[in-house]
Amino acid sequence: MKSVLSRLLMLVVLVALLLSACAPAATPAPTQAPEKPLRVAIVMPSSITDMAFSQGMYEAWVKVQQEMGGPSKLEIAYSENMFKVPDAAAAIRDYASQGYDIVIAHGSQYGTSLAQIAPEFPNTTFAWGTTTDTFADQGIKNVFAYNPAAEQGGYVLGTIAALMSKTGVLGVCGPVEAGDAKTYVDGFKYGAEQARPGVKVQVTYTGSFSDVSLMAAAAETHIAAGADMLTGSSQSVVGAIGVAKEKGAKWFGQQWDQTSLAPDIVVANQVYDYTGIIKDMIAKRKAGTLGGVAYTLTLENGGLTIKYNDRVPVPPEIKAKADEVIKGIIDGTIKPLP
Amino acid sequence: MSTQVLGLDGRLPTGQMRIEEMRMIGIVKRFPGVLANDHVDFDVRAGEIHALLGENGAGKTTLMRQLYGLYRPDAGKILINGVEQHFNSPQDAIRAGIGMIHQHFMLVPSLTVVENVALGLKSSRGVLLDLDRVEKRVRELSEQYGLKVDPKAYVWQLAVGEQQRVEILKALYRGAALLILDEPTAVLTPQEVEDLFRTLRQMARDGHALIFISHKLHEVLAISDRVTVLRDGRVVGSRPTKETNKVELAQMMVGRPVILQYERSPAQLGEVQLAIENLVVGGDRGQDAVRNVSLEVHAGEILGLAGVSGNGQRELAEALAGLRPVKSGRILLCGKDVTHEPPGARIALGQSYIPEERLRDGTIKEFSVADNLILEDHHKPPFSRQIFLNFNAIREVSKRLVNEYNVKTPSVDTPVKNLSGGNIQKLILARELSRRPKVLIASQPTRGVDIGATEYIHQRLLEQRQAGTAILLISEDLDEIRALSDRIAVMYEGEIVGIVDGPSATAEQLGLMMAGVREGGQHHLEKIRL
Amino acid sequence: MNDLFTIPVILGIIYSGLRLATPYLYASIGEAFVQNSGVYNLGVDGIMLMGAFSGFYVGMKTGNLWWGLLAAMGVGLLMGLLMAVVSVTLKAEQGISGIGLYMFGLGLSSLLFKKTMTGVESISGFQPVRIPLLGNIPYLGDVLFNHNLLVYGAFLLVPLASFILYKTPFGLMIRAVGQNPQAADTLGINVDRIRYITVSLGGMLAGIAGASLSISLINLFQENMTSGMGFIAIALVYFGSWRPWGIMGGALLFSFVNALQLWLQVLGVNFPYDFAVMLPYAMTILALAISVRRAAMPDALGKPFERGEF
Repeated sequence: MKSVLSRLLMLVVLVALLLSACAPAATPAPTQAPEKPLRVAIVMPSSITDMAFSQGMYEAWVKVQQEMGGPSKLEIAYSENMFKVPDAAAAIRDYASQGYDIVIAHGSQYGTSLAQIAPEFPNTTFAWGTTTDTFADQGIKNVFAYNPAAEQGGYVLGTIAALMSKTGVLGVCGPVEAGDAKTYVDGFKYGAEQARPGVKVQVTYTGSFSDVSLMAAAAETHIAAGADMLTGSSQSVVGAIGVAKEKGAKWFGQQWDQTSLAPDIVVANQVYDYTGIIKDMIAKRKAGTLGGVAYTLTLENGGLTIKYNDRVPVPPEIKAKADEVIKGIIDGTIKPLP
Repeated sequence: MSTQVLGLDGRLPTGQMRIEEMRMIGIVKRFPGVLANDHVDFDVRAGEIHALLGENGAGKTTLMRQLYGLYRPDAGKILINGVEQHFNSPQDAIRAGIGMIHQHFMLVPSLTVVENVALGLKSSRGVLLDLDRVEKRVRELSEQYGLKVDPKAYVWQLAVGEQQRVEILKALYRGAALLILDEPTAVLTPQEVEDLFRTLRQMARDGHALIFISHKLHEVLAISDRVTVLRDGRVVGSRPTKETNKVELAQMMVGRPVILQYERSPAQLGEVQLAIENLVVGGDRGQDAVRNVSLEVHAGEILGLAGVSGNGQRELAEALAGLRPVKSGRILLCGKDVTHEPPGARIALGQSYIPEERLRDGTIKEFSVADNLILEDHHKPPFSRQIFLNFNAIREVSKRLVNEYNVKTPSVDTPVKNLSGGNIQKLILARELSRRPKVLIASQPTRGVDIGATEYIHQRLLEQRQAGTAILLISEDLDEIRALSDRIAVMYEGEIVGIVDGPSATAEQLGLMMAGVREGGQHHLEKIRL
Repeated sequence: MNDLFTIPVILGIIYSGLRLATPYLYASIGEAFVQNSGVYNLGVDGIMLMGAFSGFYVGMKTGNLWWGLLAAMGVGLLMGLLMAVVSVTLKAEQGISGIGLYMFGLGLSSLLFKKTMTGVESISGFQPVRIPLLGNIPYLGDVLFNHNLLVYGAFLLVPLASFILYKTPFGLMIRAVGQNPQAADTLGINVDRIRYITVSLGGMLAGIAGASLSISLINLFQENMTSGMGFIAIALVYFGSWRPWGIMGGALLFSFVNALQLWLQVLGVNFPYDFAVMLPYAMTILALAISVRRAAMPDALGKPFERGEF
């Protein structure tokens, strides 16, 4: 009797878990739709409200969905908080076997799994990032890759931060030294150093994309060491933003517009806009190309934009300098990485 | 043993009211598949030691657990001083003046003596512990009853005999007027048994009512005023101790006449099968537990190794079995040096081992009887066919062994943990002896085993000796050593004090050696007498 | 390297270290009560997440952080109670039920977050309170005596827990139940009741641990924001040999080393960051290997109690 009860309880727990954590929020297609909708599934390491990496991808698809005419044209399913790679791999395989047309593996840590799964579903389009590797060298033809040139915006924001700083010390809260986090950090540092020789750029990595607490401690440390301008990457920066707000340091957002979290201190953000590449992938799929293209999000192609916060005004001369830098990066006269 | 009671005001020296009479009437207790107590009547009076005698599984402990509130009877009544009691928990029984000393001590090793005594009691300081006051009272009680123990010592630091004193103090502190002692001598040395008996006699004189549970006849005869024998959950009979004897009680317990003295033919000595040379083995705490021990065991003899518990016997046995590393010296098994060989190699050479801790080292208690029977030979035919186990063969052989060795078990698929101690021991014996060993190390083979099974195990060991096996019998039970051994070696503080001829050795001689007096060591002897 | 041993850096390490240690202290001390009574609850991280969410949500909606804290305690208590039902009454395998509870807390806190809020929002958490006199000590006053109440609470909890465990009859019962429940039972102690109390208490403290993140240290809620802190908290209980002071030592070691490695990075000490990040874990494992006294481990840890299993 007891074991039956405890099994029942476990079952309840499991059901609750399934309901909450990995329920693919599939939007059902209206019945008798004249045309079969395009079905896309996104697997993400954090949540769709993380104000960073995952939210950027999810909201881009929602925007494309609206442009295309709603769920009857484009059906979106997603699994968020797949911070464990085996869970993510299982989700990717599930979606592919359920016949989703496009499956997005949104995380560079999913690459190895994807390279195994993609060949099993040759009619499905896969895409992953941030990377430039489409596995074409492995003979795989149905994988797109996308990679934000995060160093470009990083360079621009670094320029602004260096020029605005009173202490001449900037703090960068990095998560893991890899992917777009690394290129962003490197670009920010280089931009700051170019704009203001002698500026001190302090860089920390926490070794985790999700450790909010350590990220907060990192921001604390930067400020204690004199930094008055902070930036950082990954969903865990919300911890750092909280500290910056409390201590009155300025913040530069990355991956998503983080203004709403701290409207009084966010100066500017580099925002990823995936809508362009999404539309291109859909078009390519219709034309019969299921993969093989490595996209790069740049300032030039509109995949990256710099978004200012009106409540924290940037002096006009600094803004002018920033515009100049953007132009330089677009026309190639400025290299954002050393 | 007098039933004349001091203190006529009806109080005990502890200040507690006496229990003049406790009566259990028509107690019935069922467990799934077992009728543990079948209309049992039992009583005890102030100033009396009433022994409850019976084989393992006769229902003695079950009966007493009902008196202590751990189980509730299915039928029957418990009366104290004529008033019916309903015990829902030990708390109720304790409140009624009942204390119980369990066979396995109910102490928390990581706590001190005082903490163990205070455990579960209301503190005189409310939410704060009042250990200093408890300690004072413990000292008083230990003075009063001659129960010497350091109140501030941690229980894990105490010897077994001292731990038992803590148990008694615990009960007295809680005002026990009636004390139940469940197999209290099972783990004690002869000296400690004497101390315990002295305390029990004093408690009886002071007006406590005592229930003494045992299966050891000579102890029952030595300590009790009355004996009640239980068999298969029923009362077989009740006698004043003065009017009965060993033979009658043994027969009542087992239900048939029992042999208490074995007939043995002279030993037919063969070659040396097990030779131990200058062996040194480390103990658990880094000290040398076995010091420079040399012994030889011949085919066809039983060499008894006597000694008070904790003098290195266990470490020696484990070293011989290959379970404990040897620091120096050699072990030769059938002429081969196996000093640093693993247990498997020794088994392969024909050594069998009956461990002291039969549940921990001798069996895998979650496994079935059959699985335990083939533990050592599972990889050999007929039990295995290449990589598979041959279940039919395993069952057949298991059934045959269970029958042959008289193991009482519902089936060969029953997990071993459900068997009684005696039956587990028979099971180990079946496994080890059926392999026809050349050398047998038997460590405390009958500890905690009832008379019937003990007799059976002894007969089997003698048979094995007859068949030419070299047997090293390690035991703390002098009667057992004397009844079976051809030669007796006595171990004291890790060394062999001396080796004497078995049949002619006297208990006094052995007792002195067990206290560290060497053979012929006259001056040493005098020192002891001073 | 010289930069490292300046006063501001050392003070900074102390300040950050104390803050980092706060959630671990609540969670670990709570788990110490649980484990000392012979149960282990691997669901600490899940309870922390629920505590973090409920503390944040209620604090935000009512505008009163105390209500938030109370909510976190209540939710933690309920989850502890759930664990107690499963592990004590139903005698389920504790490792698995704990992991189940963790996943339950992780999933439910995410679900509730999504249903009730549009995204990550921050609030103003408990403000630092400078302790009179002590707070005016030069240098040390700022880093030791100018924290918010939950940080002080975490460190006051250590002597309090130690007192309860070692100086009260209740603590004695807890330890006895964890070491030898049969013995406790024969003395009329209700083993199951003691375990219900400790497991619920442990849950409540894990709830506060979560709230200390969401309304006192970081002041926002994000899904999976604990990112496994609860599991470190459990390791710290072993590290501290089940004693509150030992646990505090472990929590401080882990946190100070973590704060130190951030400073190493900030000061640009030539040091691979991967190694710096590993440092607190490596130090903890090393100290664990040296210090853990298995003898101190409650003998009945993880074993459900059943009367008659003598």
